[in-house]
Amino acid sequence: MVSQRTGLLKYGFVGPALVVLIVLNIFPLLYNVVLSFTDAELVGGGARYVGGSNYSRVFSTAEFVEAIRTTAVFVAAAVSIELCLGFCLALALQRGFRGKSAILTVLLIPMMLSPAVMALFWHQILSGDYGILNHILAAVGLGQPEWLTAPGLKLISILMIDVWMWTPFMMLIALAGLNSIPQYIYEAAEIDRAGAWRIFRRITLPMCAPLLALAVLLRTTDALKQFDLVMAVTGPNDAATQTLSALLFQKVFGDGKTGLGSAYACVLLVIVIALASVFTRYIDFIQRKQGKTQQ
Amino acid sequence: MSFLQLQQLKKTFADGTEAVKGVDLSIDEGEFIVLLGPSGCGKTTTLRMVAGLEAPSDGRVIIAGQDVTRLRPAQRDVGFVFQFYALYPHMTVEQNIAFTLESTGAARRECRERVADVSRVMGLGALLRRYPRQLSGGDQQRVALARAVVRRPKVYLMDEPLGTLDADKRLEMREFIRSRQQEMKVTTIYVTHDQEEAMSLADRVVVMHEGMICQAGPPTEVYDDPASLFVARFVGSPGMNFIPGSVVADDGQRFFVPHQSQARMPLGRDVRPGPVTLGVRPEYVYPSSDGPIAGSVVMDEYQGNFRSIHIDTGFAHNLVMRAGDADARAVGESIRLSFNAEHTRFFDGNTGQRL
Repeated sequence: MVSQRTGLLKYGFVGPALVVLIVLNIFPLLYNVVLSFTDAELVGGGARYVGGSNYSRVFSTAEFVEAIRTTAVFVAAAVSIELCLGFCLALALQRGFRGKSAILTVLLIPMMLSPAVMALFWHQILSGDYGILNHILAAVGLGQPEWLTAPGLKLISILMIDVWMWTPFMMLIALAGLNSIPQYIYEAAEIDRAGAWRIFRRITLPMCAPLLALAVLLRTTDALKQFDLVMAVTGPNDAATQTLSALLFQKVFGDGKTGLGSAYACVLLVIVIALASVFTRYIDFIQRKQGKTQQ
Repeated sequence: MSFLQLQQLKKTFADGTEAVKGVDLSIDEGEFIVLLGPSGCGKTTTLRMVAGLEAPSDGRVIIAGQDVTRLRPAQRDVGFVFQFYALYPHMTVEQNIAFTLESTGAARRECRERVADVSRVMGLGALLRRYPRQLSGGDQQRVALARAVVRRPKVYLMDEPLGTLDADKRLEMREFIRSRQQEMKVTTIYVTHDQEEAMSLADRVVVMHEGMICQAGPPTEVYDDPASLFVARFVGSPGMNFIPGSVVADDGQRFFVPHQSQARMPLGRDVRPGPVTLGVRPEYVYPSSDGPIAGSVVMDEYQGNFRSIHIDTGFAHNLVMRAGDADARAVGESIRLSFNAEHTRFFDGNTGQRL
């Protein structure tokens, strides 16, 4: 009797979350896969099965190659700059000092705001004519580049906003990594007569590595899907800044080709999964190397 | 001029705790010193100040004629064994031991040879490729020791290195540390709260209490001639028996009269009259039908080759008598006790200092 009741209770707890997950995640995912094999359009019904023709179109267009390149450059630059800056900030903030918590709070603000709001702020700052940045540059007698419209600068501007938004995240995780190294390890290294640089390279960095790798994984998978900033700064159909997500948005909502856009989405999904699994394997590897799992 | 000197060493922590209140100690080269005391007596803080891991609030540390008080640990050339090993978790046993050699720029080949040497002596050969977490506590502690002895620093500092080990491992490691130290003749300061460990290892035991040194001397001296009630109680297992009373002078002779007792015990030596505490080790207490102390047996502790008989004599603490292994006593049995007068020690009834 009791076991039957707890059995029901069990489902009662899990059920709602499961329903939400199926309706909002699993169903759209599977439906997306189905759509990618049809010629479904945004307006008008009647989708027909077209086999793999959407996929052959994806891989044969120059747009796709260009979007892959843009995305790769963006991800590589954003994640590595954020990692380096974040780690440096964490090192600076590791020691306790007056006003540390205030500084920490201020540093975390960008991360807590919505990317769309952030992009609008930056749009104001970077605007060529009335932006405050160019105003300042003019005041000190420097050139005033068209941050948001010059072809070579648009992606850099988006990169800048992303770095500004996500460096605190890296810093937070790096700080957790630094704080997880017990003081006595540093004391032992001092006794072992290691200098500051050697302690950093042989103790601090390797002991933070698993957490940093996790942060890089999270940022990479997220940056691969970069969309909001592109949308807000240049719109989805700008060749210089068209990431994969922007391209698929353009296909579905700009051109109305839902089937083709779904194929793009599936390709993006596969790329994200592949990269994520490489990272998790790497994290697993360093953790095993550090003996965290018993043989 | 002694090799290592602590001069008026003091440490007051930020929260106001006075951990060490002025320690003076001179140590000869090659000497094995054990700092002994209960937890919180300042022995570990003193050790950390010698290592440079803690900055003294006042006083000086002098190693080999050089004032190192303001130097970083790395500049002092000391080996330190931490209580909880403090191995580098992301390095193999081999890398852990070699780290200190590489820090000083030793050649790779020399590193490998010296690590191989040490690990052979310490029986770590089979574990070189393992990570610390894959090792037992005993093995981890051996790695920590190997890391300290792989080079020959001016001083070895050990902070309760055997505290976390099982009893049998502890004996084995104790033997190892002692023989290794005698072989290498490196000046050593070893911290422990285990008086037995202190007695068996030390050339000189330094008993600390509340941030100060109570007594420093060879183990036999600390055991036989404790400088205060505290030392007498802390050293020895079980510790010394104490009987409150007073010394009276009568007819040119001195007698000890226990509290609330008519018995008079002739002393046969000169002790200043007044309130005292008499101390006597369990091995010098014996049953005697006309002895000055009467009591009843409350516990007979069989210890293999001897027995500790606990006797309630009406004083604050039970008296312990050491008896032969065949000399069993029934609980409740009445007994009269006497002491070997030659082995009694007297402490000031108020200050606890030796008279």
